[in-house]
This record gives sequence, structure tokens and C-alpha cells, in this order.
Amino acid sequence: MAYHSFLLEPISCHAWNKDRTQIALCPNNHEVHIYRKDGAKWSKVHELKEHNGQVTGIDWAPESNRLVTCGTDRNAYVWTLKGNVWKPTLVILRINRAARCVKWSPKENKFAVGSGSRLISICYFEQENDWWVCKHIKKPIRSTVLSLDWHPNNVLLAAGSCDFKCRIFSAYIKEVEERPSPTPWGSKMPFGELMFESSSSCGWVHSICFSASGARVAWVSHDSTLCLADANKKMAVTSICTETLPLLAVTFITENSLVAAGHDCYPMLFTYEESQGTLTFGGKLDVPKQSSQRGLTARERFQNLDKKASSDTANAALDTLHKNSIRHISVLAGGKANCSQFCTTGMDGGMSIWDVKVRRPHGPLRLG
Amino acid sequence: PVPRTGDALRAFQAAIRSSPLHAKSPAVKEQAQGTMLKVLTSFKSSEIEQAVNSLDRNGVDLLMKYIYKGFEKPTENSSAILLQWHEKALAVGGLGSIVRVLTARKTV
Repeated sequence: MAYHSFLLEPISCHAWNKDRTQIALCPNNHEVHIYRKDGAKWSKVHELKEHNGQVTGIDWAPESNRLVTCGTDRNAYVWTLKGNVWKPTLVILRINRAARCVKWSPKENKFAVGSGSRLISICYFEQENDWWVCKHIKKPIRSTVLSLDWHPNNVLLAAGSCDFKCRIFSAYIKEVEERPSPTPWGSKMPFGELMFESSSSCGWVHSICFSASGARVAWVSHDSTLCLADANKKMAVTSICTETLPLLAVTFITENSLVAAGHDCYPMLFTYEESQGTLTFGGKLDVPKQSSQRGLTARERFQNLDKKASSDTANAALDTLHKNSIRHISVLAGGKANCSQFCTTGMDGGMSIWDVKVRRPHGPLRLG
Repeated sequence: PVPRTGDALRAFQAAIRSSPLHAKSPAVKEQAQGTMLKVLTSFKSSEIEQAVNSLDRNGVDLLMKYIYKGFEKPTENSSAILLQWHEKALAVGGLGSIVRVLTARKTV
């Protein structure tokens, strides 16, 4: 794996371009900085300054190469590269609270913004007026929407909220697409239709993710649980209570495996066993523990005892790669069906790239 | 009279099983808390680990809820034995079990 320390402050959010040569991130302020990989180094190549509040979400459309950002200033901007300059276009979200997350749809003809206004703004481009308009999904969301993920059919949208629920809505926009064909989540998908709602968590839903096929959705909540709903099993929900602090980010890396990370500062693996309908913890993915270099002198032992009431050799520093909570995970290579590489960013201002290796087909995953 | 080891373990498991998580009446909950506290304080230190290991994940979470409830309303010697229960429950349930005490909507 590779770790790069970008900042001394938290990275609020990040997004990668299609060929993974550039990363756009918010350095805990009102701006978006784009870094380009130059061999082993990262050079800052752009600074996007338009928001009047912290940028809470960034997404980079791989095909059209457009960026969309959203912030606490209640705005979203779509950015287009013209020559060597990123030009912003304001999108009126019609919200009266901070925007919290944004995602391009798979076909990149829409994007969704979750906000503290307890609704989701679905934005699409209206050709005739040459601007972005939005429609709202409101019912029955009762609190801030913290996370969003699109189903591969470009219509269904999963939303995680502070009202403890994971929901799947239809975000069908007749102006830009054909009627969708039936999915395991349902056949009738008028705009705003609630296709699924969970009630199993007791905490804010920090992150939500569809599997590559769209048949499964997983989410992590502030009550230290990971849950998964399987549309092929009549939307049955299975959950696992973890032994860790709450997880803040989750992604599928195969149709049956997930990687999640959060306040414990390291990514961990989970496996979904379809026939049993169970989730199991698959281990911690991080640097191996360094064995202590040498024994302690008697004086050092006494100092430890005096300062920390313990004479053991473990130091107070974290032995994980990230030195603070991991807030975001993105898939870099292989997609959500066969991820071979993923990226984490966190409150320590660092970005880490992790390699995933499968020992044999359908064998256990491990860190490479 | 202090129950023998086997009785204490059985009483503990029975108390866990019959915990009134869904009860609305505070009186019912208080009675259950009282019973659980009696059972927990009747254990010898050396027997605690075995009792904790006999629980499944939900049982450990439930035990942790009772431990914190016990901390809320301490009696003369309860905190000392509860701290021992806490140490053993933490070893099995991890910080996640404490997080779920804080986030639970259905309390004990």
C-alpha cells in the first residue's frame, strides 16, 4: 500500500478522475484542490474557488470529465474543464440547509445532493433553458441525508440519513431517460417512489453503497453496525454488530465482500454469506504491527509507570497507517465487482491506496 | 445466602434471557435491573469470565447495558464488581458494545 500525507488538516472529501492520475479534494475549507500524480510525487495543479462554505462533497464523472461539488453554502457547482481552467456553473438546489453529499448518476446525466434540509435534490440539465434544474425527494425523510449511492440502472438511489434509516428511492427523470425496466427492488418507479426502507439501525447512517449488480445495498451506522439488504431475498436485512468504534465509510469490493473504515482508523473486511444470510468480520487490513525494537531500561520502565500507570512497551501512538478517522473510501481499480485497489482519506489529512489480492478464485481476500 | 457457582451462572443466563427490552413500564424495567444487579454482584471474580463467554453477541451487548445501568445507580460495593464485569465484557464485545449502550433506543 502507499500513503501520502497531503495536509495537516482533515481531507473533507475526495474524488478521482477516470484514469486515476488526478485527485480532487477539499482541504477542510471552501476550496477544492486538484493534485496530479508526477511519478512518486503529487503536484497541486488546480485550485477551485467558488464555494462560500466548506465543500462537503465532490464527485468526478469519469466519461464527461465534469466535477460536481456541494457545500455548506447550500450550493452545488458543476465544473467543466475549458482549456486548462475549470469553469463553474451554479446549480440552484433550493435548500435552506447545508448540502452534505453529492453523486453523479452512472450515465452522468443527473446528480443527487443530500442535505440538512431533509431532502434529496435530483439535478438534471434542461437543454431549452441551458441550465440545471432540480426536483426534490422529500417524503418520508426526517433528518439530514449523509450519504448517497446510485443503482447501476441510473434510476434508483440509496440514501442514508441521520434519522437512522437507509432508503432506496426512484429518481426517475422522464426528461432525460426512458422508463426503467423492473428490478428486484420493484417494477413501478415513478419519481420519489420509496422502494425500500430499513429500520434496523440505531444510529446515523454515515455511508451507503449498492453492490455492482445493484441487487444488494449495504450501510454503516453510528451504532457500530454494518447492515446489508438483499433484494434477491425479498429485501431481507442482515446486520453485524462490530467490536469497533463506528464506521464512517463502506464499499462493496466484490458482490459478496465489503471494505469499511471509520473512527478506528483502519479498513476492515466483511463477507456476506448469501445462503445463510449472514455478515461476518473478515479481519483488519493495515500495516502489520512493528515488533518493539529493544527492551526498556529500568529507568524507562519506571517513567512509564509514573506517566501512564503501565509498564508495557506499547507506545501511545496509533500503529495504523492513518493517524485519525477514515472518512471516505473510493474504488480505484476493478469496480465494485472485482476491486483490486481502493483509496481511503481521513481526518489526518492523509490519503492511502490499498491493494487487494485474492489468493485463489472464491478464496479469502487479503491485503497485498 | 450466596448461590453456588452453577446457580449463579444459571440465574445470570435466565436474567439475560428474560430481559424486558420492549417493556414500556418503568417499574418492570427497574425490577429487572434490580434482579440483574443482585445476580452480577453475587458472582465471584473468578467466575465472571466464564459467564461472559457463555453469551452470544446480543447477550454481550445486553450485559453491557446492565453494567452501565448499574454504574448509574451504585450501591455500596456494586461498582467494584461491575468494573470487573466491564473488563470481561469489553474484552469480548469491544468498544462497539459500549457505543451501542450509548446509541440504544430501547434501554434496559
